[in-house]
Amino acid sequence: MYPPPLQDLIDLFAGLPETERREMLINMADTAPLYAPAEGETFDLEDIRKDEECTDTVGVFLTAAADGTISYKISLGPQVQTLTRAMTSILCQGLNGSTAASILEVPADFVTKIVGTELVRVRSQTVYYVLTRMKSAAKVHLNRLRAGTDS
Amino acid sequence: MSEKFAAYAHPDALVSTDWLDKNLDTPGFRIVESNEDLLLYDTGHIPGAVHIDWRRDLNDQLVRDYIGPEAFAAMCGRYGITPETTVIFYGDKSNWWSCYAMWVFHLFGHTNCKILDGGRAKWVAEARPLTREIPEPAPVSYAVPPRRLDDEIRAFYADTLAHMKAGLPLVDVRSPGEFSGEVTHMPEYPQEGVLRGGHIPGAKSMPWAKAANPDGTFKSAEELRDLYAGTLGLKPDDDIVAYCRIGERSSHTWFVLKYLLGYQKVRNYDGSWTEWGNMVRSPIERS
Repeated sequence: MYPPPLQDLIDLFAGLPETERREMLINMADTAPLYAPAEGETFDLEDIRKDEECTDTVGVFLTAAADGTISYKISLGPQVQTLTRAMTSILCQGLNGSTAASILEVPADFVTKIVGTELVRVRSQTVYYVLTRMKSAAKVHLNRLRAGTDS
Repeated sequence: MSEKFAAYAHPDALVSTDWLDKNLDTPGFRIVESNEDLLLYDTGHIPGAVHIDWRRDLNDQLVRDYIGPEAFAAMCGRYGITPETTVIFYGDKSNWWSCYAMWVFHLFGHTNCKILDGGRAKWVAEARPLTREIPEPAPVSYAVPPRRLDDEIRAFYADTLAHMKAGLPLVDVRSPGEFSGEVTHMPEYPQEGVLRGGHIPGAKSMPWAKAANPDGTFKSAEELRDLYAGTLGLKPDDDIVAYCRIGERSSHTWFVLKYLLGYQKVRNYDGSWTEWGNMVRSPIERS
């Protein structure tokens, strides 16, 4: 159902008491810069935009490997909330190395399993936003492959 | 006291980052961080600050309402706050939620409160100390307040409707797009379940952000007077109701009007647009 690395993270968070869950989320948020694109790095697909429903610009950068798997780098503007930063790390760790088709099938219900219901509120719905953007990039990538226009 | 603070109606309702930095260990104070970003406090906070989460700590967990006097007293006791404690609030988003928390404290008669001018952003920008150490204040006893003072600083739907019909001042502090009805959510935020866009008939638009500088500090008394007395024409003895979408941005304006400008009668309609815009047959104006 979930890519194995993501399942591992879900299992890790599922067993944590609330205090440790929050600490783990902070640690994840702290590591989000590790998944930012490096200066001069090139990608197969770049999608940088500021959407109405997110507090700042989010860039999604996709690299496709010869074996059909893809990996992501994500850039986050300074106003992006801590929970969204944490989710960025989790998603990059959990989805990198999967195929685009399998990423498109990942259900979003794991978010509350990781974050917990206490922290997911109307105004923190952007925790789903990064997943949506990653799926969007995966879909564009797949469409390009099908059209034979991948570059 | 700075010249800027001295010009406000109640200068003692504000503290500067510099003052707070020098008074972190002064007894009798409790610093409270209140944010929109729910994990921001955990990433580092002002030494000694406790975290009050507006929904977990201040809202009733079942009914759309605030906690009652017993829960308020228990919360204060848990955070080491006595009725004599001076509570200094700060937070993200130019102090939206810290003003909201302060307003809730006022609902229970705890008026010995101050706001950190510039909030969290200014403190961080000035590279002042932050810690991840969670303070564990010794629990204290807080006498249960006799009642919640809803009728003094809070407006309900019926109050606001009567206010509108009487032609009394209503200040809509949302963004211009929300006021006009072009959008039902503020820029950069998800939809919060409002079915109709627009504003309360007769309300005047004064977005909260006009009262704040880019660094999150409050504008000067003179600039604020130009906005509220000048542009809006509010008079000192006016009965004023402010609203936004769920009551946090209007808490910011409530603080500005009541403490920085000295208006006597200011109420926050916390039901705000998520109540008004959903209420069946509620009158709406678009412009």
